[in-house]
Amino acid sequence: MEVMDQLPHRFPFLMVDRVLERVPGVRVRALKLVSHTEPFLQGHLPGRPVVPGVLLLEMLAQAGAFLEAEPLGDTPIFLAQVLEARFRRPAFPGDALDLEVVPEASFGGLQRLQGTVRRGDEVLCTARLLLKKGSPLEVAP
Amino acid sequence: MSDLKHAVKEMIIQRLKLEGMTPDQIDDQAPLFGDGLGLDSIDALELVLGIEQTFGVKIEDEAAGMKAFRNVESLAAYIAEHKPTA
Repeated sequence: MEVMDQLPHRFPFLMVDRVLERVPGVRVRALKLVSHTEPFLQGHLPGRPVVPGVLLLEMLAQAGAFLEAEPLGDTPIFLAQVLEARFRRPAFPGDALDLEVVPEASFGGLQRLQGTVRRGDEVLCTARLLLKKGSPLEVAP
Repeated sequence: MSDLKHAVKEMIIQRLKLEGMTPDQIDDQAPLFGDGLGLDSIDALELVLGIEQTFGVKIEDEAAGMKAFRNVESLAAYIAEHKPTA
């Protein structure tokens, strides 16, 4: 599957470069390559480029879109809740980030998942996220 | 049934962290979502898990959820109907 078929995100906010493993509903591993030319590194931080922690969560959320068995088409996935997040080590330009997401529970277009960002064997970030399929503005069940 | 409704209210308060709220403050007939208790769709998953873990009752799909999640009364009725027999 092509990354851009499943995610509507585009430059500069497409944060999955390749899907490494994909078992819908069970587990996804994806790759994000961080380069010196990432727009967000220009300001974060000048002379000391570090990937913002919130973007590690965004990477996991985007990887989470590949847990869906069906092509998402015009039904994008949004981040609905950050239940837990821990940033253990920073990510830098040149890093190949291994994004792993495993679903915890789901109901009615909502999916709770556990995500881990690794660089090799090092864990950089662990998080539990809630993703919602559909419009972010829909609030009624 | 009133015990079950009370237990349902306690579960809702605990799972959704409705701090400062007591079971007595939740009306049996008040809508859980929107006006009423003011829950939103994000709370639905937490409720589904709470019902499963507290009462051993699975809400299979969205249609079942829509029916059960109208208010405390409908939720207690759904649980009573689907509760595994001991």
